[in-house]
Amino acid sequence: MNEFKTYHPIVNFVYFAFVIGFSCVFMHPICLVISLLSGFIYSVMLKGRKAVKTNLIYMLPTLTFAAFINPAFNHEGVTIISYLPSGNPLTLESVVYGLAAAMMIVSVICWFSCYTEIMTSDKFIYLFGKIIPSLSLVLSMTLRFVPKFSAQLKVVTNAQRCMGRDVSNGSVIQRAKHGLLILSIMTTWALENAIETADSMKSRGFGHSGRTSFSIFTFDKRDKKTLLCIVILGAYTLIGKLYGGMYFRYFPSLQTGNFSMYGLSVFIAYFALCICPIIIEVYEVRKWNTIK
Amino acid sequence: MRKHKNKIIIGTIIAIVLAFAFWWGGDFPMLQGQNADKSDYANINHSKTVAGKSKNDTNQNTQQDKEDTVSEKSDLSDIPIKKDNEPATEENKPQHSDGKPMSASEKIALAEEMSGNSYTKQENAAEKVTDATANSEKDVPVAEDKPVPIEPENTVISDKALTCTMSVRCDTILKNIAWLDKEKTELVPNNGIIFSEQTVTFYEGESVFNLLVREMKRNKIHLEFENTPIYNSAYIEGIGNLYEFDCGELSGWMYKVNGWFPNYGCSRYQLKSGDKVEWVYTCDLGRDVGGNYSARNGK
Repeated sequence: MNEFKTYHPIVNFVYFAFVIGFSCVFMHPICLVISLLSGFIYSVMLKGRKAVKTNLIYMLPTLTFAAFINPAFNHEGVTIISYLPSGNPLTLESVVYGLAAAMMIVSVICWFSCYTEIMTSDKFIYLFGKIIPSLSLVLSMTLRFVPKFSAQLKVVTNAQRCMGRDVSNGSVIQRAKHGLLILSIMTTWALENAIETADSMKSRGFGHSGRTSFSIFTFDKRDKKTLLCIVILGAYTLIGKLYGGMYFRYFPSLQTGNFSMYGLSVFIAYFALCICPIIIEVYEVRKWNTIK
Repeated sequence: MRKHKNKIIIGTIIAIVLAFAFWWGGDFPMLQGQNADKSDYANINHSKTVAGKSKNDTNQNTQQDKEDTVSEKSDLSDIPIKKDNEPATEENKPQHSDGKPMSASEKIALAEEMSGNSYTKQENAAEKVTDATANSEKDVPVAEDKPVPIEPENTVISDKALTCTMSVRCDTILKNIAWLDKEKTELVPNNGIIFSEQTVTFYEGESVFNLLVREMKRNKIHLEFENTPIYNSAYIEGIGNLYEFDCGELSGWMYKVNGWFPNYGCSRYQLKSGDKVEWVYTCDLGRDVGGNYSARNGK
């Protein structure tokens, strides 16, 4: 289930740039539903069944929280449901807007979880190592830092446990001392590691002009077709948005644009863009099953 | 040249973005069409001078100058005694009797003269205490014949029902409809009257704010406010979904009572029977509805 991952990094990156960008900006309810559904399905496809649970655990609280928190601060809107204890009105529009904003946050989080699965740091460095060498190195080092740190923490804790200096040994004060020692070791290691990485990249001439680098990525016919597809769909959606094909307003009253075939085509284009990798995965699975 | 290519490109991009933000960001005065009326400012200076004279009319001109300066000095030295609900005082700005503000050197000269004369100083300081309003942010000087602000948490509201008149209007928007947020056009009534002038009931001790909240609720008109602790008052952000800044950058709601725009918040204006309360929407910081002290105080 990792067919889209084998595509050229530029295809992956353009896809995510479009989808995450659009998810952050489009507030039309249909767009939010499209984005959330496809993001959810794709993250489940990538990470298996356990993603359903983790998704729901942060999704539902965020949704309810935002739906409650927005009307507490925003009182705009013509449909007054009732009055808050402070004296300000509770309006239908602010509740709906809170829900919409929550859906947007959740769908963007979903898409980013897919992004980290697909766009590994080597792909990112491959794309941006030439243009913005230091920034791309820092970014990939930062993204890599947390998993690396937790792995190293396990190693250090185990080593200290062998010496009887773990956080589970001794009195409270001793335990605290041991914990601080481990923290100090980890901090030293992290700083040293960062400097070492930077030095080794420098000694290899990273970021200098004229330096070539090895990569296993090739841009073939398949990538070309997919990239063209993504760019056309993305551009069509963007133009449709700019021409008001996705008009929806929340304040002062909920109002949607008139239904038109053109508007419908923009939504279809956006939907097609979002489910692009899902189609690829499903198509590959079917192909594999038929030739097996 | 090649080495600095990136820097040049980045610099150009920043300059273009800034230029774009300047001309199309809404701050460019020519697009807004602001034209502040200079005569307003002249009037303000004049009225201030008159108020200053009324207090010290028995004194000689020089004496008056001295006293004003000393009051200003004690103002700065932060007198600890603070009295609320005091009779109103005029503004104690050091200035000549002809209304010209004193220059810095003149003030210094006067202060030196004063330091040798401890008697005058003490007397003036004492005088200052009696009519001092404290110098915190929310205590504002109020014209002599106008009601002083109250503190809403200290007032007792009785059951005695009284009446006054109230109206809510936004007719200035009709004149500046081009500035109005496009989504809000349908909310503006054709005659600009959101709540026509009518007799309303209030209870003794209530403020303009209490009245507005109750009447808006009763008439199912939307109202949003925010409590501002520093002014100890509510701030009206929007009535009928017409918000501040919806019609240009200088727009918002103001209130006047009996034709006067109070220079304090609506929670601190205690209503009297027969008062005429008007809520008006301004598109030009009060200048288009006649509340020009907003330009004077700059608050």
